[in-house]
Amino acid sequence: MKEVSLVRLKVGHKAKVLDISGGKGLENKLMSMGVYKNKEISKLSHIGLKGPVVIKVGRTILALGHGIAEKIIVEA
Amino acid sequence: MIKKIYLVGNPNVGKSVVFSRLTGVHVVSSNYPGTTIGFTEGYLQLGNSKIEVLDLPGVYSLEPASSAEEVAFSLLKQHPKDEIVVINIIDSTNLERNLLLTLQLIEEGFPLIACLNMCDDAGHRGIHIDYQKLEKLLDIPVIPTCAVTGIGIKLLIERMQEAAPKSRQRLIHEERWKEIGRIIEEVQHLEHRHHTLREMLEDASVRPLTGLLIAAGVIYTLFKVVRFIGESIISKITDPVFSNFYQPILEKLTLGWQEKSFWFHLLIGDLINGKIDFRQSLGILTTAPYIEFGMVLPYLISFYFILSLLEDIGYLPRLAILLDNLLHCLGLHGYAVIPLLLGFGCNVPGILSTRVLESKRERFIASTLISIGIPCVPLQAMIFGLLGKFGGPYVGGVYLVSFSLIIILGLILNWALKGYSPEFILEIPPYRLPLLTMLLKKLYFRIKGFLIEAVPVVLIGVLFVNILLYFKLFDFITGVFAPVITGLFGLPKEAVVSLAVGFLRKDVAVGMLMPLGLTAKQLFIAATLLAVSFPCVAIFVVLWKELGVKYLIKAILIMLLVSIIMGTLLNFVILR
Repeated sequence: MKEVSLVRLKVGHKAKVLDISGGKGLENKLMSMGVYKNKEISKLSHIGLKGPVVIKVGRTILALGHGIAEKIIVEA
Repeated sequence: MIKKIYLVGNPNVGKSVVFSRLTGVHVVSSNYPGTTIGFTEGYLQLGNSKIEVLDLPGVYSLEPASSAEEVAFSLLKQHPKDEIVVINIIDSTNLERNLLLTLQLIEEGFPLIACLNMCDDAGHRGIHIDYQKLEKLLDIPVIPTCAVTGIGIKLLIERMQEAAPKSRQRLIHEERWKEIGRIIEEVQHLEHRHHTLREMLEDASVRPLTGLLIAAGVIYTLFKVVRFIGESIISKITDPVFSNFYQPILEKLTLGWQEKSFWFHLLIGDLINGKIDFRQSLGILTTAPYIEFGMVLPYLISFYFILSLLEDIGYLPRLAILLDNLLHCLGLHGYAVIPLLLGFGCNVPGILSTRVLESKRERFIASTLISIGIPCVPLQAMIFGLLGKFGGPYVGGVYLVSFSLIIILGLILNWALKGYSPEFILEIPPYRLPLLTMLLKKLYFRIKGFLIEAVPVVLIGVLFVNILLYFKLFDFITGVFAPVITGLFGLPKEAVVSLAVGFLRKDVAVGMLMPLGLTAKQLFIAATLLAVSFPCVAIFVVLWKELGVKYLIKAILIMLLVSIIMGTLLNFVILR
């Protein structure tokens, strides 16, 4: 078990969300889209060079800008 | 007594399609979040009364996090709760996430009726929902629908009266998600499925390597197919109609008219070698309809058909992921690709849809880039028609210049303007197979919109220009601007008229270049200048309304500066 940001999580891996460190606004926004603490997500893709990260939560596929993905800490 | 009906739901769940079904009012819908940027009103006939229906922009939650959500929430609170009905549109293929908003709406005490849309798609994906159980658990009417085909809409209307406020304990987000988990457990049954071809494609198009390959293929095919369809319509339909049918009628009608008379000049224009030439005569009944119907309309039909296809399949948000890096350098984020692409059809809807971007800074950058660097279809069609005969490199050259300008200007604006480019959180819709009838309907409304707006402007524009030309009133303007036009850009001074007409409509402006007998280089410079320079009057108005006077002036100064620098560079350095 180790804590990494979504950016560091390997593509194709599943992980549990531990923390969202971007302030209440970001936390609420992600929460309303189904990403919140203890929720399991899987990483589908990562466009290199500071590009966005694509994750799957439940049946939702979300693309997150690099800066946002960095703020989501998961347990891998 | 119901006075108002609101359609509320997550983005991209088909609210606009349900709205069309209820009211008969057509709204553009696409397979990506944020198609509805304002709100749309229509009426539903219920018994003897006509009830107003409001289609609100998509929201994920009742806590406003974006401007769309603020709009939706403030509208919901306008009327007393006992006078309204809220129809909560839910995407059946993604019940869990959609239920968050549903619970919030019930907790707030809105009289609610849930519409489980896209129920056929859910079935295809092996998702089975027990509607009766869901109805019991939520304590509100739940109706499965498939709005694109109309299934369930009648029942939805019939049960509208049953919507009533219910008391449900207010929860905090975490508890709400737990509650939703319990509900899902009871009502939803998933069939185990292997990865389908569709899912494999969905995944491949968001991975870096396969995604870029697919994107390159899609864009290349898009361009080729648009040209192919456009050219086919011209050579098979419009050109034969104009030369075999319309021209003889015109010739008969004007038999015996004085060629140099005022009316002949106005309606028919100049005869070229004793005959009407639709490309060069410049009359209200000759060149004006030919430009709109014979040159622009075929490409417009073809472009909007292909764009609508891509929209409804759900490809565009995937393009947004792949272009995010590049667009970040320009001060935007990936989702800006949607306004940019829409701008290719006509800059106006492109600029309007910059509302999906968060900050004023982004909207200013995107709007400026669209109005400078994105040539609209009418302009592109004319460029194909005019530069095509000089060969591909000239046509390609106009695009090369435009796209280089987008990059250079974007880099400069991003560097010069205070602020930063925000990050996106974007839901990627599943691929959906579009219905041909829906596609054609959307195409019909887009084309109709274009014709209503463009044709009067073109006719009045050509009329106006012809009167000015007849009385030689252009000579003054030509004289004033001649030094710039001839000295810097290497164009004949008559081209001033065309550039001035560019303020009315770009396609007519290029049309005015046709009789001037320009060389390939001159034509290239003039066409590129028209693509880049001053906005046409429609863009002018939209920039003003959307960004305000201050930003409008800024945008125009940038445009003038860019045009002068680019025209001069092309003339003296690049195309010597």
